[in-house]
Amino acid sequence: ENSPAPLPERAIYGFALFLGSWFGFMLYLIWAYIPETWLFSLGLTYWPQKYWAVALPAYLLVAVGTGYILLFGINMMSTAPLNSTDTITDNYAKKQQWKKFQEEAIPALRDIPISEVNRMFFLPEK
Amino acid sequence: MEERRYRSASGAPIALRRRQHSASCRELAVRCPRLQLHSLSASTSAAWLAAYGLFVLTENSMVLSAAIFITLIGLIIYLHFVKIDQESLLVIGSLGIQVTSSYASGKESTTFIEMNQVKDVVINEAIHMQKVIYYLCILLQDPGDPQGVSEVVPLFQSSKPRLDCLIEVYKSCQEILEQRKTAPQSS
Repeated sequence: ENSPAPLPERAIYGFALFLGSWFGFMLYLIWAYIPETWLFSLGLTYWPQKYWAVALPAYLLVAVGTGYILLFGINMMSTAPLNSTDTITDNYAKKQQWKKFQEEAIPALRDIPISEVNRMFFLPEK
Repeated sequence: MEERRYRSASGAPIALRRRQHSASCRELAVRCPRLQLHSLSASTSAAWLAAYGLFVLTENSMVLSAAIFITLIGLIIYLHFVKIDQESLLVIGSLGIQVTSSYASGKESTTFIEMNQVKDVVINEAIHMQKVIYYLCILLQDPGDPQGVSEVVPLFQSSKPRLDCLIEVYKSCQEILEQRKTAPQSS
C-alpha cells in the first residue's frame, strides 16, 4: 500500500534527479557565461540565443509573483455565492445514511439540517 | 407596529419596522440610511477636482463638461439602480412571501414566492468578501425530493443586518410558518 517510508526505488529516483539537476545547472552556466566564439570553435553551434539566459529567469520570477495574486483571485472566485445551495448542503450530506439511535452509545456523526440547527439556536425552548 | 434601531454588518445604522396585519400576516421592513450629503459632496468634489486637473494638463475644455455630464448621469444611475432605501418582507401564512426592494429614486421591485414552494426561512452563515456574515434566506422546496432544497433566496442583501436584527425577523417568520404545520391542508 502507499506509505511515505524510504524505499530503495525512491533513493535511486532521488539520486538520479539530484545528478540531473546538477548537470542541468552546469549546462545553463556554461551556456550563459562562455562566449559564443569559444563554443563555435568547439563545434557546438546550435544553441538558443543568450538573450534567453536572462529572459527566462525574469519571466519565472514575474510568474511567481503573479501566481500569488492569481491564487488569491481563484480562491475568491471559487467561494460559493450567497444564493447557492452549496452553502447549505452537498452531495455527501444528501446521500448520508441515518443510523438508528442506540441506548448508552455515542450518537453517530451526521449532518444536521439547517432548519433544525436554526431552531435550536434562535428559538428559545419553552 | 414598532420600529427598532440596529446596525448593519458594516456598522451603518438601520431600522427594523414590524407590523402585524393579522394573526397570519406580518410585514417586516428594514430601512437603510439615506444618501448622506457629506459623502455626496465629497465624491462630487473629488471627481470635479480630478477633471480640473486633467483640464489643466490637456487644455481641453471638453473634459470639464464631460465630468459634469458623467457626474449627473452617474448619480441618477446610482439612485435608480444601486441605492436601496428599504427592503421589506411580507409573510402571509396561507398565501406566500413577498420581498420588496425600494430604491432611492422611488423604483420598487418585488418578488413573490408561493407558500407551497417555501420550505423554510433560516439564518445561514456564508463567506462573503473575506468575512463570514449571517444572512436570512428562504429555502425553496425541491418538487421531487421532500427533504431537498432546490434554491436559496437571500434576503436583505443591501442592508445586511447583524445577527440581533436577523433573530427578530427569524422569530417573526417562524411564528407564521409554524401555523401551516398545525393548520389542516385545505387543498
